[in-house]
Amino acid sequence: MIYLDNAATTRPDEGAVEAALPYLHEKFFNPSALYGGGVLVHEEVRRAREFLLSCIADKARYELIFTSCGSEADNTAIFSAARRGNAVTSAGEHAAVYQSFTELKNCGVEPRFAPLKGDGSVDGEALLSLVDEKTTLVSLVHVNNETGAVNDIASIAKAVKSKNPRCLFMSDGVQAFGKLLFRLTPEIDLYAISAHKIGGLKGTGALLKRKGVSLSPLIFGGGQEGGFRSGTENVFGILAFAAAAKKKFMTLESEFSRLKTYREQLSSALDKGIFTRISPKDGTPYILTVAAKNLRGEILQRLIEERGVIVGTGSACSSKHPTSRVITACGVTKEYLQGVLRFSFSPATTEEEVIAAAEAANSAARELIARTARS
Amino acid sequence: MEKVIIIRYAEIHLKGKNRGYFERVFSVNLERALKGLKHELHRLSGRYLVACFDESRTEEICERISRVFGVHSYSVGLSTGTSMGELFAAAKEVCPKEGTFKVDTHRADKKYPKTSMQLNAEVGGYLLDQNPALKVDVHAPQHTVFLDIRENGTALVFSAFEAGVGGMPVGTSGKGVLLISGGIDSPVAGYMMAKRGMSVELLHFHSYPYTNDGAKEKVKELARELARFSHSARLTTLNVAHIQEEIHAKCAAELNVTLLRRFMYRLAERFARSIGGQCLITGESLGQVASQTIEGITSSNAVVTLPVLRPLIGFDKDEIITLSRKIGTYETSVLPYEDCCTVFLPEFPAIKPKLSFVEEEEGKLDVARLMEEAMASREVYDLSED
Repeated sequence: MIYLDNAATTRPDEGAVEAALPYLHEKFFNPSALYGGGVLVHEEVRRAREFLLSCIADKARYELIFTSCGSEADNTAIFSAARRGNAVTSAGEHAAVYQSFTELKNCGVEPRFAPLKGDGSVDGEALLSLVDEKTTLVSLVHVNNETGAVNDIASIAKAVKSKNPRCLFMSDGVQAFGKLLFRLTPEIDLYAISAHKIGGLKGTGALLKRKGVSLSPLIFGGGQEGGFRSGTENVFGILAFAAAAKKKFMTLESEFSRLKTYREQLSSALDKGIFTRISPKDGTPYILTVAAKNLRGEILQRLIEERGVIVGTGSACSSKHPTSRVITACGVTKEYLQGVLRFSFSPATTEEEVIAAAEAANSAARELIARTARS
Repeated sequence: MEKVIIIRYAEIHLKGKNRGYFERVFSVNLERALKGLKHELHRLSGRYLVACFDESRTEEICERISRVFGVHSYSVGLSTGTSMGELFAAAKEVCPKEGTFKVDTHRADKKYPKTSMQLNAEVGGYLLDQNPALKVDVHAPQHTVFLDIRENGTALVFSAFEAGVGGMPVGTSGKGVLLISGGIDSPVAGYMMAKRGMSVELLHFHSYPYTNDGAKEKVKELARELARFSHSARLTTLNVAHIQEEIHAKCAAELNVTLLRRFMYRLAERFARSIGGQCLITGESLGQVASQTIEGITSSNAVVTLPVLRPLIGFDKDEIITLSRKIGTYETSVLPYEDCCTVFLPEFPAIKPKLSFVEEEEGKLDVARLMEEAMASREVYDLSED
């Protein structure tokens, strides 16, 4: 089976699993405990925290709060930062941000959504025009999880801050962390990441926070994570996260260029009479999103799976919502809207696999066209 | 003195010579419902008694009993000896401490030395002495303490009747095949027939690859929920994708659903006959959608000879939703899913299909071959083992 839905989740890295195991066996201690085992584990969590932080940020300026997932990191940031006035985001956000913004209405904050360009990146000028003196938060996804488009968050954050220096800028970096060469710039106040997208384990995420930014916790209790996120630390997940990140950052540049070549190979091997490309060339090399004309992505996905290849779709699995909110916001035309397929890669992806995936997609689409033709 | 649950049955008492059969099925169903919970089930004259159970799980036992078709009512009470001391103690235990009350005695043991009236008076007097806040009202009391003097030297003492779900024991009214889609209506239709004692076999049509496994999982969940009442959770699925493709390719678009439903009825009938099923059950409600007009129903009905039971035919959607909530299938039913009927859904389905036109269009298809193919796709899931 060829697995090309790595943007949904990816196979845990063996090294990460190895790193986790001692904390499920002999090092099972609570890091808040004051005896030897607890102190030891606490120290290892501290080192993992420092390492993860150092991957993309200046340790002197930022701190890192472990959460249970990327969505929790997003929610913590949004509901802390957007307290009044308005909050600005894009139409291309992951549901964790988009739905939180929708919920802000019930908290007396006006959510504002900036439109997208055809590739799924935000229309930067339109976003800036939504920012005013009453804006308390701007949130912009770093890499669009449905199209792979990269938003230039450093420039946009700078422009936002020059328009309103008091508002906070956050970014969901779940599809960017460990996959893009990037460091947090001073205008970025909050940044959400997740372990299981880079070979870590599900159940671990983190929020990077510029020092001095005040957050209100979603979870109260024993005061772990500096009081920002109570609850006993997920020690094995945190250690696995650090191990996965270590490997990912060591090979980041070589993987970037390798996967970029594969993405283009896959793209050019797809039947142009059926598929149109949505992902931009300058997007993340980890994602290639295409749409098939007048076909449904979900059905294609199943026929492709019958051919031994697992891919993602751009839509929720529901006849009530057969189209994706984000892909619709990209302005994709009606005949392509339901036919979205997302191929997403990992370090394990090979050239043979992407070629086989293209063949499977072409053949599945041809089969579906033949089966649904009217005579 | 021991805590017991007294179960009274509905309608079975109307039966004549085959009453024993109904009672046996009823007691098997009660045992099935209580499976996994420590208990003993005893048959008394005209009622059943659950005893020797873990008192901390009384509510759970009652909840399960309340779902067994054939239960008219049940009461949680006490089983005790028939000496006055024992009757006094039990009556005090079950009687509320204040309000108006009366004592109502029934003596199955006619040799018992005191009459019902004497027992009412003596036990009532004792309760008044013990609880000064109580007051007797024999016409419209807030509480009634029932004493049931059995022939075996025991008495059942209780004060409240809980309504059962009624109906007939499942398994006493034959076997039907429910066409279950995953929507709101069909589980309710299955419930209605199970309530009248019918064993319900479930048949679901899917349209892989056009519908996904999520839709099938949802139907499995509905089957499990229905099994809480029907005690049978066998689900059979058939794939109708190729039938739909052929209809789509060769026949008038507005008849897509009409023709598909004729295939579904035929397949359901063939399946029913293969398992000894005596009828089909559908969740159709007159006029609810295009295929449920009288013309649509006529068109589907024309291809089968087994009776098609449509217990919801005269129900409004609101009424069906209310029932669905009551039986607990609503929350699952409203989860998003892909109904195979929507895959090749025409923009304007025929609301009043003419049978002659339907038959003419169907003539373009190799019905026998398509039926064989669909029957060969049969998959069976026994969900009771889960």
